[in-house]
Amino acid sequence: MMQYNQQKVNALPIWTSEGNVDLPLSDVSLDGPITTPYERRFNPYDFNGGTTVCIAGNDFAIAAGCTRMSTGYQILSRNQSKLLNLSNKTVIAAAGCQSDITVLNKTLQARYLQYESQSQKIMSTEAAAQLLSVTLYYRRFFPYYAFCMIAGLDENGVGAVFGYDAVGSFKRDQYGVMGSGQNFIMPFLDNLIGHKNRLDEKKVLTVEEAISIVKTAFIVATERDIHTGDSVEINII
Amino acid sequence: MSILQYNGGAVIAMKGLNCVGICSDLRLGLQQQTVAMNFKKVFQITDKLYVGLTGLATDVLSLEHLLNFRCKLYKLKENREISPKAFGAMLSSLLYEKRFGPWFSEPVVCGLDANNNAFLSGMDLIGAPVFSDDFTVAGTCTQNLHGMCEALYRPNMDPEELFEVLSQCLLSAVDRDALSGWGAVVHIITPEGTITRTLKCRQD
Repeated sequence: MMQYNQQKVNALPIWTSEGNVDLPLSDVSLDGPITTPYERRFNPYDFNGGTTVCIAGNDFAIAAGCTRMSTGYQILSRNQSKLLNLSNKTVIAAAGCQSDITVLNKTLQARYLQYESQSQKIMSTEAAAQLLSVTLYYRRFFPYYAFCMIAGLDENGVGAVFGYDAVGSFKRDQYGVMGSGQNFIMPFLDNLIGHKNRLDEKKVLTVEEAISIVKTAFIVATERDIHTGDSVEINII
Repeated sequence: MSILQYNGGAVIAMKGLNCVGICSDLRLGLQQQTVAMNFKKVFQITDKLYVGLTGLATDVLSLEHLLNFRCKLYKLKENREISPKAFGAMLSSLLYEKRFGPWFSEPVVCGLDANNNAFLSGMDLIGAPVFSDDFTVAGTCTQNLHGMCEALYRPNMDPEELFEVLSQCLLSAVDRDALSGWGAVVHIITPEGTITRTLKCRQD
């Protein structure tokens, strides 16, 4: 009976784009004629950080995003916008991998121009929401690493916010947060705008109040999150 | 899932004007399944000293037992109650004793010392302390808790305001965490005494 050489290693050094990592031996079988293949891999995604917040009111909508772009522990830019003005009624705010967001924005703008010239009208916010959803799902098996939100005025002039996941499932909300500061800001908006866990009477939200809530939210996220900071860009529709 | 998130839980301690407050949620779970809704994570050590223990429930109970024992022994030897600072130092060294096989618990110490000055301290599972002037959080939803406290905290709150702020912070933060919630208990420690209130929140 042939004796196969058993490699005595505790972990295999594998190179990936994040640097050297050790592939744990439990995932690999090295003895015998059948060995598990291991490979050097290129990770196509990078997380560029940042936070975006969107709030909808009775006759206004606000989209805001911080302007910091980072990779790992380094800052690449202090002045990178996360907001796209699709039309004068709709803004798309996206956090995640900046390259995917840029391509997504260009795709949407191109489709928007086609829509405008073919149907001779400005795309409504609901239509833009559906378009974004379909665009994201098109890449179901190699997604855009983009966590998007749309803020705008709907057909009746009422503020609308739509929140998405990376593959395009969306829902209309009154407020939303995406990005690295999401966990810090979300409960704060739940309390102030969603009026959760409160017994006092709910008041109508004005533009000035909403803006000051957004500013406070970004201060909170900047204090505690390393990927959020520098400055905030706020678009009011 | 990390071992510190097996049972779930959240604790906040916050400082006010001549008072401190500490609160925790009441859930005990086994990963996704909820097993009890009355599992307090804040324990009284002396009249003016409370400790909140998050993390693995068995270690929470063991540490509470151990700390009570050590404080009673301290009282016998020194003929006085232990001060919050000394208690924090004792807890820190207790945790570090088990450096290579740690207690899976991240405590928060909160109390008023003999001169009624507030003391707040949080630790990681091997005992590294952080002394705060404003608030300390621990648990499975620390990011949510940090965000809420950062937003709602202001210095020099009186006991009633402190209670409101603590409650709103904890309730809103645990509502966004699947592993914490099912009610809360809040203790406000003042030089005159401690006020304890139990809150009902979303039961899911």
